[in-house]
Amino acid sequence: MSRGRTCRRCLYGDRHPLGLTIDEEGICSGCRIHEEKDRLDWNARWRRLEELVAPYRVRDASAYDCIVPVSGAGDSYFIVHLVKERLGMNPLLVSYNKLFNTPLGIRNLANLRIRFNCDLLLQHVNPVSVKKVTRATLRQFGSMYWHCLAGQTVFPVQTAVRYRIPLIVWGAHQGLEQVGMFSHEHEVEMTRRYRKDHDLMGREADDLLSIFDTLNEGDIWQFRYPGDDELDAVGVRGIYLGNFVRWDPRRQHEQMIDTHGYRSARFERTFDTYDHVDCWNYMGIHDHLKLVKHGYSRVTDHACREIRHGRMTREQALRLVGAHSCAEPGQVELFCEWLGIDRRALQFIVDCHRNPEFWTETEPGRWAPRETVTARGAAAPGPEDDPGFRVNEALEFGAERRYVTVGKGFPV
Amino acid sequence: MGVITVRSGWAVQSFGYRRWLPLGRPEVLAENLDRWGVDEILVQAIDRSASRSGPDFELLDRLGRIGLATPLIYGGGIATVSDAARVVQSAADRVAVDALLHDDADEVRRISGHLGAQAVIGALPLAVHDGGLHWLDHRTGRESELQPDIVELFRSGVASEALLIDWRHEGSAGAFDQQLLRSFPVSGVPLIAFGGLSEAQQIRSVLGSERVAAAAIGNFLNYSEHAVQRYRRQLAGVPVRPASFSSKGQQ
Amino acid sequence: MKTRRTVGIVDYGVGNHVSVWRAMHALGYRCRVTEEPAVLDATDVILLPGVGAFPPAMQAIEAKGLVEYLRSQARSGKPFLGICLGMQLMADASTEFGLTAGLGLIPGRVEPLRQAAWHIGWNTFEVVGGDPLLRCIDGQSVYFNHSFVFDAPPEYCVGVARLEQPFCVAVRRDNVVGLQFHPEKSQASGRQALRSVIDGLCDA
Repeated sequence: MSRGRTCRRCLYGDRHPLGLTIDEEGICSGCRIHEEKDRLDWNARWRRLEELVAPYRVRDASAYDCIVPVSGAGDSYFIVHLVKERLGMNPLLVSYNKLFNTPLGIRNLANLRIRFNCDLLLQHVNPVSVKKVTRATLRQFGSMYWHCLAGQTVFPVQTAVRYRIPLIVWGAHQGLEQVGMFSHEHEVEMTRRYRKDHDLMGREADDLLSIFDTLNEGDIWQFRYPGDDELDAVGVRGIYLGNFVRWDPRRQHEQMIDTHGYRSARFERTFDTYDHVDCWNYMGIHDHLKLVKHGYSRVTDHACREIRHGRMTREQALRLVGAHSCAEPGQVELFCEWLGIDRRALQFIVDCHRNPEFWTETEPGRWAPRETVTARGAAAPGPEDDPGFRVNEALEFGAERRYVTVGKGFPV
Repeated sequence: MGVITVRSGWAVQSFGYRRWLPLGRPEVLAENLDRWGVDEILVQAIDRSASRSGPDFELLDRLGRIGLATPLIYGGGIATVSDAARVVQSAADRVAVDALLHDDADEVRRISGHLGAQAVIGALPLAVHDGGLHWLDHRTGRESELQPDIVELFRSGVASEALLIDWRHEGSAGAFDQQLLRSFPVSGVPLIAFGGLSEAQQIRSVLGSERVAAAAIGNFLNYSEHAVQRYRRQLAGVPVRPASFSSKGQQ
Repeated sequence: MKTRRTVGIVDYGVGNHVSVWRAMHALGYRCRVTEEPAVLDATDVILLPGVGAFPPAMQAIEAKGLVEYLRSQARSGKPFLGICLGMQLMADASTEFGLTAGLGLIPGRVEPLRQAAWHIGWNTFEVVGGDPLLRCIDGQSVYFNHSFVFDAPPEYCVGVARLEQPFCVAVRRDNVVGLQFHPEKSQASGRQALRSVIDGLCDA
């Protein structure tokens, strides 16, 4: 299936799990679609967005125009800023409690709803089910993040059905931004197909049930997508602002730091300090698993993004990616303690899912990355390579390194 | 008819037979089209003939495992009667052949004899220009006039339907060239139109032709939720099946 | 609590019984794919699938020594469902590629479709005589793919489809039912038909 080619411009290769095509000039589909960002008339596209949302505006002050899925990180601030302050809509914010909460993430989420003065719904799935699901997904396909991805992507849709609010506004489309899966002009919308194929690695809630596992209906029904008939009855539709706005996460976060009090922090395994401040595991064990299964890690995504925005050279990117992706993941004990598994059991499961395309077992239990791993063997980065992402906080926000239990009384 | 184009095992969007953008796993797309209630699913593996790899049986096995309740047509790399027989024993109900029509017409006749013409669809990437119909050999990228012996294959009833592919307009919204339908010289063979069909008005017009049995859509089914159902609703008045929406938990 | 029904799919080496198996499974029935009479004896309903041409299919059934067994099962009142070519095999004979004898479970001959070369695609099913097993899909579209039709006497024809004129697409003689369309490829309508026929025959 893969042929082992790498893009000449960014660092992605055609083994990318979202699928990536490389053209005759050696440039990948992601870079090609990115070129549209400098070619399209963004004023005209903003006007299209205005037309698109117009029918969804509600005159009623006691109703919501749309749903905006948020978290204490990502581009949540910028999305709410666009929806509430630039489009003048009245959004209902919804958030899924991932449980791996950093204190800074909790603080950012609270600040988000207070600064923008929005209503927010937070969903918590019972911890026993979440842990059972996580043990199952870890064992079945080497993911400990499935419940987060499933919850984040389905809770807004369930809310749209339950509250009868048809429009859901998302930020950027990951497939478009990373591998150029769609043109901005396709104006791709949210689909269950994409969620199953890519967000959930090919497995929906019902696929997790199997006669060999301890999961039952009661553990997974909360992650189940609404029926097509329910979606149609409400007219649920999910749009991506990234199709109508020239999406640039770095610039957007920096703007939100300046204007709306977003706080950033250094987190592990990358030079970016904006994207994932809300989670102890996204850039830790989850990112390590990405490297184990797919031969590259999140820092590569950050680097490709910066290369395409013209703020980083390919050589600089290779050095940064090389250094960061082989760093050991942190907070692993915290995760093992939470899940109730032994550190060695975790290591065993991780190794079971190691992809031989990218790893060789040099001695029993010891693995070395092959040359197919992105930026393997790159030179060490120097101080001039630091891209200068801003930091104005720390993940623990003055408290301890622990998962914050939301609702237990946490001072912001 | 929903079309899933597969290249190197990936489902892709295809533009003018020249450019491809990734979509995902063919099985996930097929399962989705099945749930949406599309009339038929055509899976075309576009790189199999060129590499002489034969049909993608692994893909067919994966498709078989989903348990689709929608008729499935497979095309891509079928070169022998045994290929075709194995494809039909696997997950497909019917087969589509393009390269083989030109490489070995007799083998196509044998396939038709073995499976029955109702299981065979002849696929033709075509363009109308310089006063005639031209066929594209997708392996070489070269066009040639549509040969009389190919026309004869269709006239003699070897294939039950002809898939006419406007390859130049693949992936271009609203661009399907209806001249292809008018120019096809065999009047008794039902036609399937494909390539650049995206607007309801267009589809309505194409389905209005007596010669047309089906409209096939590929790329344009992937940009929004319930694309098939939306098209059905926009085609009110055209004799197509009504839109159907499955309930939660039901596949 | 009712135990799950078991469907016995006759495996005579012809035709794609995998989709049928999956459809049964999705409906919650237990399924056995077999050529062994002993295994079929233990099922609640015998299902005869089939695609392709009539003569090689009959030859295959004969080669497996199943002709008498299937006849006796049908006559004994055992629930029996034939789909697509399987429905046609239940006739006295077929004129496809010369005259070939069928299983003779329901009188009538299989003749070429006169109105067109083939009947391919979705078409409306019309129930005839209000048969309770098939009333649920009356007026719904189901998927066809055939060029021969079972010309059954009116007392055994329970469903028709039309091109211009109607022709028989479903037959029934007490415990024996035949469906010309592909219920396993007809999405929700097909599932409804299968459930109704199987449960209806077994409950009778």
